[in-house]
Parts: sequence; structure tokens; C-alpha cells
Amino acid sequence: MAIEWYLVLSALLFGIGFAGVMIRRNPVVILLCLELMLSAGALAFLAFSRMLGNQDAQVMVLIVLVVAACEVVVGLGLVVAMFRRRLPLNVDEMKELEG
Amino acid sequence: MNFDAPTIDYAGLSPIISLTAGLVVVVLVAVFDSVKRFGPALALLTLAVTAGCLIWQWGTEADLVAGSLRIDGLAVTLSLLVVVSAAVAILLSRDDPASSQAGESDYLGLLLGSVLGMVMLTQAQNILTFFVALELLSIPLYALCGTDLRRRESLESGLKYLIVGSVGSATLLYGLAMVYGGSGATGFTEIAQGFSSGGPDLLDDSLVLVGVGMVAVGLSFKVSIAPFHQWTPDVYQGAPTPITAFMAVATKIAAFAIFIRFFLVALGPLIDQWDVMLAALAAISIVVGNVGALAQSSLKRMLGYSGIAQAGYMLCGIVVGTQAGVDALVFYLAAYVAMNLAAFAVVVIHERRTGFSDRIASLKGLGREDPAVAWPLTIAMLALAGLPPTAGFIGKLYLIQALIEGDWTWLAVMIAVGTMISLAYYLRVVATVWMRAEPATDPGPAAPGGGATAIDSGDLPPVIAGAAPDAFEDHGSGRRWYLLGPAALGAAVTIFFGVIPQPLVEFAQQAGNALAPYIS
Amino acid sequence: MSAATWAWLVLLFPLLGSLVIGFGFRVLSTRTAGLLGIGAVAVAFFCGIGALVAIQGEPSDSRYVASSLWEYAAVGNFKIDLGIYVDPLSVYMVMVVTGVSTLIHIYSYSYMKSDVGYHRFFSYLNFFVFSMLVLVLAGNFILLTVGWALVGFASYALISFWYRRQTATDAGMKAFVINVLGDVGLYLAAILIFSQLGSVDYETVFARAPEVFTTNEWTIVAICLLLMVGAFAKSAQMPLHTWLADAMEGPTPVSSLIHAATMVTAGVYLIARTHPLFDLAPTAADISALVGVITLLVAGTIAIAVTDLKRIIAYSTMSQIGYMIVGVSIGAYSAGLFHLMTHAFFKALLFMAAGSIIAAMANMQNIDRMKGFGKAMPFTAAMLVIGALALAAFPTTSGWFSKDEIIDYASFRGGIYGLMATAMLIGAFLTAIYSFRIVFRILPGPPCDEAQHLIDTGEVVHGKPVNPHTLEPEDTDVGYPGSEHHIAEQALGMKIGMSVLGFLALVGGVLQIPGVDEVVFNFLEPTFADSELSHIHPSTSESWLGLGKGAAISVAGLILVWFLYMKRPAIPPALVRRLPHVHALLVNKWYFDELYDFLIVNPVKGLGRFFNEFIESDLINGLTRGTVYLVRTAGAGVREIQTGLLRSYAVLMLFGVVAIGLYFLIRSI
Repeated sequence: MAIEWYLVLSALLFGIGFAGVMIRRNPVVILLCLELMLSAGALAFLAFSRMLGNQDAQVMVLIVLVVAACEVVVGLGLVVAMFRRRLPLNVDEMKELEG
Repeated sequence: MNFDAPTIDYAGLSPIISLTAGLVVVVLVAVFDSVKRFGPALALLTLAVTAGCLIWQWGTEADLVAGSLRIDGLAVTLSLLVVVSAAVAILLSRDDPASSQAGESDYLGLLLGSVLGMVMLTQAQNILTFFVALELLSIPLYALCGTDLRRRESLESGLKYLIVGSVGSATLLYGLAMVYGGSGATGFTEIAQGFSSGGPDLLDDSLVLVGVGMVAVGLSFKVSIAPFHQWTPDVYQGAPTPITAFMAVATKIAAFAIFIRFFLVALGPLIDQWDVMLAALAAISIVVGNVGALAQSSLKRMLGYSGIAQAGYMLCGIVVGTQAGVDALVFYLAAYVAMNLAAFAVVVIHERRTGFSDRIASLKGLGREDPAVAWPLTIAMLALAGLPPTAGFIGKLYLIQALIEGDWTWLAVMIAVGTMISLAYYLRVVATVWMRAEPATDPGPAAPGGGATAIDSGDLPPVIAGAAPDAFEDHGSGRRWYLLGPAALGAAVTIFFGVIPQPLVEFAQQAGNALAPYIS
Repeated sequence: MSAATWAWLVLLFPLLGSLVIGFGFRVLSTRTAGLLGIGAVAVAFFCGIGALVAIQGEPSDSRYVASSLWEYAAVGNFKIDLGIYVDPLSVYMVMVVTGVSTLIHIYSYSYMKSDVGYHRFFSYLNFFVFSMLVLVLAGNFILLTVGWALVGFASYALISFWYRRQTATDAGMKAFVINVLGDVGLYLAAILIFSQLGSVDYETVFARAPEVFTTNEWTIVAICLLLMVGAFAKSAQMPLHTWLADAMEGPTPVSSLIHAATMVTAGVYLIARTHPLFDLAPTAADISALVGVITLLVAGTIAIAVTDLKRIIAYSTMSQIGYMIVGVSIGAYSAGLFHLMTHAFFKALLFMAAGSIIAAMANMQNIDRMKGFGKAMPFTAAMLVIGALALAAFPTTSGWFSKDEIIDYASFRGGIYGLMATAMLIGAFLTAIYSFRIVFRILPGPPCDEAQHLIDTGEVVHGKPVNPHTLEPEDTDVGYPGSEHHIAEQALGMKIGMSVLGFLALVGGVLQIPGVDEVVFNFLEPTFADSELSHIHPSTSESWLGLGKGAAISVAGLILVWFLYMKRPAIPPALVRRLPHVHALLVNKWYFDELYDFLIVNPVKGLGRFFNEFIESDLINGLTRGTVYLVRTAGAGVREIQTGLLRSYAVLMLFGVVAIGLYFLIRSI
């Protein structure tokens, strides 16, 4: 398959993820959308790697997956901390800091 | 079958190795009760050893680990600045409730992890190491921002930072993919070769340029360049102050290091495409940062906005794309470390004295009560505003000089205009500090939410249900050596290099010289 | 240690003294502060001796060293470094400045004792000494300008020391403004020098000047004229002299140090230092000498008529500096500088004695009211007489040798300089008249009330201190020697300072007795060796002839004044009635102040008012307010988008990304 399709797919995934971050209010769902965006990047890397015949980017994808996992761990840790303190899990409610 | 073992340049890798070893030791120390309290000392020892290794490697230029890292003047100088900032942050965290809430060793471990990421980032020469180091830098910081569990704002800032930060990283990743696709390589020098040999069509290719733009977005987010700056005031205000101090200074240093390396080395051939974009971003940051700081009543928030403006000034050093620009930028970063750390140290002292109030108005009368604390703050404010005889002035002078030599005079004018606007809020702090306090002012009760009559309880952060109702107060905080020391040292260094700039100029030129072969 | 190291130490101690006393004013007692102040300058004096010994140890054609601490800025060809130049001339000036300053500090220790601003005084005084030393030790025109400006500032701070006194602050501002005029002349000269010769460093400039300029080429004349503007402003020569008389508002030690011995001699130093340039521009040198002659005559005539004791001495300073200016302008460098030193001695002494008498008079300064102090204050009287004798160049005093050496040289050179010599002799006669006028007015005769009080009770008159000019009550909260006035007879510090100076004023002449020794000339020879003029020398017999003429004039003046004031006291008032216009002219200082008010001050004030009413309040205020409004609104805008809502942040980021993306897409199309 021509490479453009993969790129279009990755662009779509990125867009959907970004839109999700903008629209959804639950932090856990936002973390999911972040995963989506990172995966879109990984996909783009893979597509180009295929096009160029270079293996470097495939290593990159593995790295991206690990990093994404770490990020989500920390994110979920913060979410759990919030949950334990009975704060509402709603990013719109988090506006103590403003101005 | 022949198998060539790769050569490992242990000397070049020594800073990273020492940091990693130190990190492991500090985290393990928590397991044993008898040595638990040595955590901070061990962390400082690690940083000292790392600094030693960096100085040992002063002057070497070598590619490490098959070209994915490079130790040279730029890496060494900026890593030293990062290590110094981390040391000060550890000193400021002593007795801080955040570190004890998080478990001291874990706190220090996260901090050291972040430092490791920063040191790697200054040495990164490959897209992979770029991304890994950037994330290694950021993720511990997301966690650290949220460590002050007594305050709701801390968690909020941590989560906000994480989400917005990850959006930035994801954008960065996508952009890196585009750049990789366009140039066909992941190492910076190979990317540059790929672009320069690709012909003019490649340089104009829309996908490549969008990729470059997205990389710029991702990095701009990290250094808080407008319009990607919005997390900065919130996170700076919410995070525990030692972490804010560390973030404000060290993240900028590391991120600018990779900014320099990536844009000037890897994207060197494309400079005509991206320089106007970065110039526009710098100009917008200068305006937004300065103008936003004007009406702030919280000192940490104001310092956040001021950081946005300062990042704008610093970005001008990259826009100009010459060695003089890099020299000026590194000089300014070094001066920035001194001035900012002095200011934040005083903020920590003040917070502990007044039970976590960082309102500018509460600084009134500080000049009379405690000149030893007021003077470093005054000097830091004057230096940030760029008044002689401070290092901030000399730094701005060099930046403006580099810009004018590089035919970017309008940016130099922007820096001047920004400085003029910034005088308003910096001098307002200075004036407040030296004004007489009204006689009836009582610096606030300890218990937040309690019947506070002198200070309206809107000042003090709302308590999270279930947390202990006593704020941390330490009236003697103005006398602690580990708080006053960094403040005084920062102020002294600022004045010293403002009067005798030569040694710092030579320091900065180390960085510029390392990039000389790549910059046209 | 090398001369350069000694010189740096000379600079260090007064600065340290000033900073320590200034910042430690809460913790230091007055005694400590005073001793620190004296100590700082005394140590500087000893370091000056060290430099002297070090310099003299070198062979005579290499008695100079330039030393630089660090290079402050280098922009293209223009290098500024913190560099000093140590040679016989600068060491000479260092010795005079630090030596006389030490004595004046000792005097001030007692004189200012009951003043509320004691610490401030010593801090400023030390700072002044530091600035003056920077000026004389500077090795390039930039550092010279820095020292020049700092001296101007220190002088301003000290003149308006009693800052609640309206007349004092006015005088301080006047001095500062005229000084700034001089500063501008100096800056322009430095710029011209740099543009023509490519450097501001003394050694380079003086070496290159003869190669680049031909004699009397208009550029070098312009440079010298600009330098003269600076010199005349600092040394109070006409027409930039009006500030000196008003500067007497400052405390007496200030008048003694700054306006007798050090600051006003800066102009003389400047011309001596830049003599290679003046050698190339004889026209400018002649103009300079002419101005000196005019000043000494006019100032002398004013001093005969005014009645305020300190102002008489001030005009006499102006006049004597005129002599020095003539000296260094016509080539008699060592003579002019010798007179600088002896003048420092006797003029400082005169001011000190005047301070003592004024204190006894409860700060009243009109000599018409002073009588009979010879009996009431014998020590002060003796010092006053010594000072007056030396000033009038009475035989065997130091002033005799120094002043007449200049006059000899001028007449020896002949031509127009011979005419100048004659004018200087007339001036010497006037000097004798006003010097002895002071003596014969104040000392003999039946004691006035204050003197009588002193004789009877042994105490100084108290009373509410009142500004002698405006007759307002003084503000003793801020300073102003409170209710206690100190006179020399009762204050050890004052006695010590005055005795040493009295001694030096009497015997200082031994340094340059024609035919016997030429200590000053030989010492300064290496600096001036490159000038042909300095090698012209009247013979010993001609010198003694000149000294004889001077002696005759001085004695004649003494006899005349004694006659007029002691034998026929009715004559002076009769003269005043007979020549009312002449008297008015002299008493009103030749109406210079009024002239300047009319020509300069009032028009400038009017222009200022015009600009304020029309341009400032409407145009500029409007612009400023508009900008403030703009910036504030922008600030409010930035804060409004900071909603605290995470999702709105993400939206803005999206806008940013889209904007950048669009920019690039449009570019690549």
C-alpha cells in the first residue's frame, strides 16, 4: 500500500486524540487520548521507516511505547491521589489556579 | 563470525553514569532506616561527583554511544548549570513538607531522574535520545509538582502539567516523525546532510515544514513560549516552590540546549524557513509574558509570566543563528540561573515565614525587618529587569548586540520594549519590599481556614479534606543557611558577573565554539 | 613593591574608608568614624610616599609606569581599561592631596564634632579624596572623566551638606551645573582626541600627537580649548567662576579642602598633564594664560571690597589659581605646581582660621562686625597672620618663593608674557591689600561683643543659629554644628591641623630657593622633559631681582593697609562714599551673576516653562497615558484567557499549531 494512507491514518488518529483532549472532561479519558496521540506519532514513524527502508524508526516506536506507558503511570497516580482525596474527577472543576 | 564489541567512552559517559548510580543509591537508601536521613546529602554528593565529571570532560568533543550522544562545550556548560540548579533545589527542599510527604528518597530520586534527563538532553544528538531524554526530564517533574499533598493546587498543577505537557510531547513526536521522513535519518548531522543534499524542493516541502513547526511547538511548550505558555503561571503557582525554582531554571536550560542543537545543527539548512516563525514566537512571548505579569498579585505567578518573557528573549539568541547568538544565549542562561534562584530562594524563605503566602503585598516591610533577605530579592529583581551593574544587563546587552549584528534589529527593539514594560512589575516588587509596613499588620495565622482576621483567608490555600490543618511555618527561615545561602550566593554572582563579565563570557564561548563547525 | 601597586593602594583606602563609614553609620561611634576617616587618608598618604620612593628609584628617563587592573570594554578599536599612570606629576599631586587632606580630616574631627551628620560628613569627605585621587592617577581620558565627574558629585554633596538650608542647596546645584559644563568640554575633548589619534590612553596620545598634528592646526587648538573649558569650570576661572563664592555655604573644612587645596587645582593639573597637547597649540595656551591673568585681576579687585570673610578668601583662591593657570600655560610647569602646593598650605590654613573665628562669632561671617580677636583668640590670630603673610608673598614665606617664581618666568620670556608679568605684579599688590585687610580688620582693636564674651567667660557665644544671608533660623536637626561651636583654642584636632599647615606655609619655600635648590623642579623634570618651554630658565640673579620686586610690593601693601586701617580709619569709608559706583561694581562681583541670570538662567527657565505647559502636559502625558492604557488592556486580555480550564489551554495550543501549520503551508505553495 502506498504510504500516504498510513500518514493519513496517523494524522486522523492525532486529530482525534487532540480533539479528545479538548472535549472530554474525565482525566482518565484524557490520558487515553494522549495515548492515542503518541501512537499516532509512532505510526508515522513506522510509515516513514517503511518508506525509507531504515530501521532506526522501528526502535523509536518501541521507545515511544515504553515512554507512553511511563507517562500514563504517573498520570494515573495523580488521578488516584485526587480520587483518594475525594476531589471531583473533572478537569473543568480544576480551576483554583487561574488568571 | 566476527563480532566487534562497541567502544564505550566511559570518560565521556561519566556524568551520566555517576548520575544514574547516584539515583539508584538515593532511592535504595530509603529501605534502610539507619541511613535514611542521609538521602539529601547523598543526592548532593551525586551532583557534586557529576559536576566533577563534567569539569573533567571540559574541552573534550566526542561522540558517545555510536553518535547518539555528543559531549562538547555546549553539553558541558549547560549540564553544569543544570547540576547547580538541582543542588540549589535540593537545598531549598530541606524541611519542605512536599519532600516529606512524598517520601524523601523518592522525591530526591525523581529530582535526580529529571536531572539525568536534562544532562542527556544537552548531549542528545539523535532523535531517539532527544525524545527519551525529554520525557525522562518531564515525567518526574509531573510527579514532583503534585507532591505537596496538603494543597489541592499542587495536585491540580501536577495533572495540568502532565496533560498539557504530554500534548506537547506528542506534537513533538509527530513533528520528529515528519523530519525523519523528510531527511531519512535520525542523527542530527545526518539529518542536516539529508536536507542539504535533497535539493530545494525538499527544503520547501510542506510536510517537512509542518514537521519542523510541530517540533518547534513541542519545544516551545517546554520552555513556555507563547502561545503555548498557559500552563506556566498555573503550574508555577501550584507546585511546591523548590520544584518551581528547579523547573523555572533547569527545564529552560535543557530545553534550550536541545533547541540549539536541533535547530542549528539538524535543521541548519532550513534556517531560512524557520527563523521568521521562531522570531514571531519570541516576539509574542515577550509581549504576552511582560504584559501578563503586570497585574499579578502572586509572586510565584508573576515569576512565571516573567519566565515566559525571559524565554522570549532567550529564543532570540537562536533565531539569529550565529555563534554570537549562541554565546549570548548561554551567557543569559547562566545569569538567569543566578538571578532566578536568588529570587526563588527568597520566596521559599518568605513562604515559610508567613505560612505559605506568596502575595506580593505581604512582602511589605521586608526591607526593614530582614535586610539580609530583602537585598537578594532586590538584586534579583533588578537583574531580571536588566539594570546595570548586574549580569542580567550584560546578558541582554549581548543578546541585543548579537541580534543587531545578525540583521534582526526589530527583535532587538522588541527586547528593549519588553524590558521597559517589565520594569513596572519588577520595580513594584522592589518598592513593596522597601516600603514601611503598616504597624498593625500581623503576618497571618498559621491555621488556614481558621478565623483569619488580618489576612483574608482567600490568600491561604484551601485545605484538602483530611489533610492536617496546620500549615508549615518556620519563623526562623530567614536564618537558615540552606535557604539564605543560595539567595545570597545568587545575588552575589549576579553582581559579580555584572561588573566583571569576562569569565562568564568565556564560559559561554565554550558552548558557541562547540557548534562552530555546524553554524555557517 | 612597585610604584603601581602603591598607587592602587592609595586609591583603595579612601574608598574603603568612605564605604565603611557610610554603611556603618549606625554601629560606629563618632570617635571611631572620625578616626577611621583620618586613618584612611593618612594611610593613603603613606602609600603615596611608597610610590614616591619607588618612582625615584628608577632612572630618570623611565620614571613612569602605566598599570591597568582590567579591561572594562573593548568595542572595535576603542579600548577602555581601568588604568592608572604613575609618574612624578601624579605622585606629586597624590602627596599634596593626601597630605593636606589628612590635616583637614584632623581639623574636621574636632570642628564637626557636634554635628548630627558627622558620619555622613566623613564618608563624603573620604569619597571626595578618593575621586580626586582617581582624577590625578588616571591613565586614560575616560578614567580621567570618571574621576572628574565623581569629584563634581562629591563637591555637590559636600556643599549642600546642610541640606535643609535653602542657600546651601542652591549653591550646590549652581556648582554642579557649572561643573557639568566643564565636564561636557572634557567629554568633547576626549571624543576629538579619540577620533583624531585613535586612542584615549595618555601614553599613546601624547606620543602620537606631535606626529599627527602640526602646530596650531585648528583641531589641536579646538581640543585644547575644550580641555580649557573643563579646567576653567573646575578651577573657577572666568567666566565659569560664579559657583566658587556661593560654595562657601558648605562647612568650613569643605571650603578648606575642596575649594582651596584640591578640587579647584584639578584644572591646573589637567593643563599640566596635557602639556604635550598645549605645546602643539600655543594659541590655546596663550588664551589660557590670558584668562588666568584676567581672573586674577578681577578676583583681586572683588576681594578688596566684599565683607564676608569666607568669600574674601574664596576670591583670593580664584585669584591665586589664576597665577597657577598662567604658570602652567606659559611653560613654568614646576613653578605653577609649586605654587599649587604652597597655596594649598596657606589657603587651607586661612580657611581653618576663618572657621575658628566664625565659630567664635556664632556663625556670623561679616568682617565689619569682627574686632579684637587678637586678644581673644591668640592661637587663631597667629595662624591667620601666618596665612595672610604667605598669601601676600611676604618675604621668607613659602608664598613669596612660589608666586614670584611664576612672575619671574613670565617676565623672562618677554613679549606679551612680560606684560602678563606686570599684570601679575599688580595682582600681587591687590593680594597684599586684601590679605592684610583681613588681618587688620579682625585682629586689632577693642574686642567686639563676641570676642569680649570669649575673653570674659572663656566660652563661645551661643544663640540661635541664623543663616547669615537670609537671616532664617537654621535647622539644627539635620546638622549644622548645633549649639556647640568649636574654636581652635579649645579643640586639639583643630590646633594640630592648623599648626602643621602654619609651619609648612612658613618654611615650605625652602624647596625652591633660586640658586640654592630646585627640589620641585628636579622632581617633576621627567614628566616635563619633553617640553621645550620647561627648559627656559631665568638666571639666579634675575630670580633674586624678581623676588626683590615681589618683596617690595608685599611690604608696600602691608604698610598701606596698616596706614589705612590703623592710622587713618576714616579714609576707607570716605573712599567708598566717593566712588560709589566702583564700590558697587566690586561688591556685586562685577555683576557676573546678574549677567548670567539675564543671559542664560532666565531664558532657560522660560523655555522650560513653555515646554512644560504645552509639550509635556498635553503631548507627552497624552502619549504616556495612552501607552499605559494599551499595556494594561493587553495585560487584562492575557489574564482573561488564563481561565484555569485545561481544555481552553488545549484549544489555544491547537490554534497555535494550526497557525504555524498554515504559515508553513502557505509558504511552501
